[in-house]
Amino acid sequence: MLTKLSGGTVYDPANAINGQVRDVYIRDGRIIDAPGKARPDKEYDLRGKVVMAGAIDLHSHIGGGKVTIGRTLMPEDHRGDSVPRQGLMRSGCGHAAPTTLTTGYRYLQMGYTTVFEPAVLPSNARQAHMEMADTPLVDTGGYAMLGSDDYLLRMLMAGKEQKAINDYVAWTLNASQCIGIKVVNPGGISAFKFNQRKLDLDEQHAYYGVTPRRILLSLARALQDLGVPFPLHVHGCNLGVPGNVTTSLNTIIGIEGLPLHLTHIQFHSYGTEGDRKFSSGAAEIAEAVNLRKNITVDVGQVLFGQTVTASGDSMRQYANAAHAHPNKWVCMDIECDAGCGVVPFKYKDKNFVNALQWAIGLELFLLVSDPWRVFLTTDHPNGAPFTTYPHLIRLLMDKSFRNDMLATIHPDAAAMSTLSSIDREYSLYEIAIMTRAGAARLLGLKDRGHLGVGAGADITVYSDQVDKEKMFAQPDYVFKDGELVARNGEILKIVWGNVHTVKPDFDRAIEKDLKEYFDRYQTMRLENFIVHDEEIEWDGRNKLLVHPCGEA
Amino acid sequence: MTALIFTLATELRQRVDLSPLTPDSLAGKSIEEIGATLLQTGNRQRRADEIFVIEGNDTSHIKVQNSTAKLDYIGKGMTHGDLYVAGDAGSYAGMSMKGGNLRILGDVGAYAACEMKNGQIHVQGDAGDFLGAALPGNKKGMQGGIVIVKGNAADRVGDRMRRGAILIEGDAGCYLGARMTAGTVAVLGSVGEHIGYAMQRGTLLLLQAPSSIPVTFNDCGTHTLGFLPLLLRGFQEFETRFGALAGSIKRVQRYAGDMANLGKGEMLIAV
Repeated sequence: MLTKLSGGTVYDPANAINGQVRDVYIRDGRIIDAPGKARPDKEYDLRGKVVMAGAIDLHSHIGGGKVTIGRTLMPEDHRGDSVPRQGLMRSGCGHAAPTTLTTGYRYLQMGYTTVFEPAVLPSNARQAHMEMADTPLVDTGGYAMLGSDDYLLRMLMAGKEQKAINDYVAWTLNASQCIGIKVVNPGGISAFKFNQRKLDLDEQHAYYGVTPRRILLSLARALQDLGVPFPLHVHGCNLGVPGNVTTSLNTIIGIEGLPLHLTHIQFHSYGTEGDRKFSSGAAEIAEAVNLRKNITVDVGQVLFGQTVTASGDSMRQYANAAHAHPNKWVCMDIECDAGCGVVPFKYKDKNFVNALQWAIGLELFLLVSDPWRVFLTTDHPNGAPFTTYPHLIRLLMDKSFRNDMLATIHPDAAAMSTLSSIDREYSLYEIAIMTRAGAARLLGLKDRGHLGVGAGADITVYSDQVDKEKMFAQPDYVFKDGELVARNGEILKIVWGNVHTVKPDFDRAIEKDLKEYFDRYQTMRLENFIVHDEEIEWDGRNKLLVHPCGEA
Repeated sequence: MTALIFTLATELRQRVDLSPLTPDSLAGKSIEEIGATLLQTGNRQRRADEIFVIEGNDTSHIKVQNSTAKLDYIGKGMTHGDLYVAGDAGSYAGMSMKGGNLRILGDVGAYAACEMKNGQIHVQGDAGDFLGAALPGNKKGMQGGIVIVKGNAADRVGDRMRRGAILIEGDAGCYLGARMTAGTVAVLGSVGEHIGYAMQRGTLLLLQAPSSIPVTFNDCGTHTLGFLPLLLRGFQEFETRFGALAGSIKRVQRYAGDMANLGKGEMLIAV
C-alpha cells in the first residue's frame, strides 16, 4: 500500500530540512522516494500543516518495579484521574503513574511514538519488558542499571582488567534486552546499605573501596570499547543536594572525554548562594556542556503539581522522604543489587525551592546552545508527568508566556533566576531536533526520528498554532509504522510497538564465572535471569529491533 | 413541600453509584432534571428515572425506598439536609460527608462513614468492614461527626480514624480502632481479636472486656475518670443508649497502647 502525505511543511533536522514544503511517501511501513507514476492508494492533503517524525522520549519511567510501587503507594492518583473506555481505548487511570494502556494512548495522542524506560534493573528486566509490552502504540526500550551491583563492584575491587568489565556490560545488555546502560548514584545505592548516607564523586565505598568516579570511567569506557551507540546514561551523585553543581562539573570534566549523557541534570545543578543557601548552577553546567562535545544532557524539568518520584537512588530518596506529600514513602533494596525509593511530591510555585527548580530547568534548556545535545524530559513522573510536555514546549518557544509564568512563582526565586534576561525562543526546527533527530542520533536509532528514505514511518502532523501548548497537545495525524493510528486525538487503530535493543559481542567465557556467582549468591539461576528474544516476540505483537554496534 | 422520594423500581443486576443524589447536588432542580440525572451502574450510565420512581419536591429531605445493598455511595459528600434510606445501603454510605443527617433503616456495607468530616449517620441494622475508615492508601479516616450503629459492626472499625465518635450498640469485629490517630469508638457488646492494632492515639470505650488484651497494651490500673460522664452526657442529644450510661459507668480499667506504635491510645473497659 502506497500512502502519500502531500504538501506539508516538513521539519526533518536529521536530513537538514527546515520547514520546506514537500511530499512524503510511505510504503510497507517505511518512508520511500517519490515512486514516479505509481498512484497512491491513500493521499492526505497536509497543506499548511507541520510534519515531523514521531517524537522520542529518551527518559521516562514507564515500566519496571518502581512504577508499580508508585501505583500501589498512590491509589489516590488513580481514583482522582479515571478514564472511562472510549472508542478503541480501554479504561484506565492515573495522573502521575498511569496504567500501561493509558500511558500508551496519552503518549501517542501527543505525537510520541518511541519511549525509553531509563532504569531497568537486570533482575527485573523481564517484568519491565512485559509492562512495556502492555503499553500500546509506542516503541519501547530500556537502559540496564549497573553501578551498584555486587558483581561489578567485586570486579572493580579485585582490579579486574577493562576487558572483563566490557564482557560483563555486554553480557548484561544482551541478558536484559536493553539498548544502553544507566548508572544511578554510582556505588551510592550499595553504599547506603553499608550505612553511608552520602557518596561523593571521589569518596570510597565503605566495603568495596571503589569510588563513583572509577565506576563511571569503567562503564563509560566499556560502552565505548563495545561500540554501543548510546553513551553511559548517568544519574549522578548528590541528586538534589544544594551545592551539587560542583559534583556535576567534576563528573563532566573527570570523564576524560568519553561520551556521557547526564540525565535530569536540573536536579544536579544547584548552588549554595543566597540567604537560603540554594541557588542556580545552570549557567556553569551549561557552559561546561557547551564546551564539551562528548557530553549530552536531558533536563528533567520540574512543573508544578502533584506527582510521585520513583528512583533507583534509595540513598537520596531516603534523604528526601521528609518532604513526601502526601506523607508516605517507600525505600527498599532489590536483590541486593540495587534499590528503589518512591516518594510522592507536590511541587508548588509558591515554594521557593520548587520555584527555583522550575527556573533552573528552563535556564538549562535555554543556555545549552546546541539542541542536538539537550533533550526534553521531565524525568516522568519525577519532575512532572509526561502529559505536561506541550506546556513545557510552549515555555521554551514563547518568551512572553515564559515571563508571565515567571511572574507567578515565588518572588525570591524569580529574583534569583536569570530567566527573565534570557531572550532565546526555541524554533520548531530546534524542537524537532531535541525531541526527534537528536534523540534518535544519540540512541543510535538509524531508522527513527527522521523522514528520510528508509526510515520507519512514524510521523506526526500538527496544525501550526500560535499557542504551542495547544499545537503539541493534539496533533492532527499520527502515523505509526506507516499506519494512521490517531486523528485529532482519536485513536483509530491499536498497534504494538517495537523493542529497541543492542546486542554487543562478548567473550562467552564470562558466563562460566557468572554461573558460579549466580549459583552461589543470586535468588535465580543464570538461565532464568536471561530474557530471551522469544519472550518478547512470542505473541507476535512486539518485534525486536537490534541496532548495530560500531567497531571500537 | 413534600420529601423527595426515590423508590427503587427495578431489579438491579449491577451496583449503582448514588452519589449524585444528595441534597447538595439536587438543590434547585426540577423533577425532570432530577429524573435525567445520570447514574453510573456497572460499566454504563443510566438515567435516575429508569431506575427509580421519583416523587416529591423537597430536595433537602430525600428518601430512598426499597433500598438494597447494591446502592453505593449514598450521601457521599453531603453537607446538609436529611437522607433517609428505607432498606439496606451498599458500600461507602456517607463517605466524605460534611454535614446533615443520614439515616439507614437496614444494614450498610463496607466503608460506611469513610473519611467523614461532620454530620450524623444512624444505622439501624449492622455495619460492614472499615466503618469510619480511610480509603485504601489514604492516611486520614473519619475526621469528625458521629456514627451510631444499633446493630453489630464488622472488622476494622475506625481504621486510621482521626476525630469524631463511632458508637456501636451491638458487637464489633476484629482490629477495632486499628491505626487510629485520634477520636472515640465505643462498643456495648463484645469485640474481636487484635483490638487497637497499631493505634497511635484515641479512645476505645468498651462495656465488656475483650477476650484477650494485646501484649502491646500496658495495664494502667483502674481509674475514676472525670471526663467519662461528660463524654457520655454529650451523647444524650442523640438517639443512642450510650447517653443513658452517663450515670452508671463509674470506674474503668485503662490500658495504654499500641506500644508498638506511638502508644498514646487508650482502651477503657468498664468495671
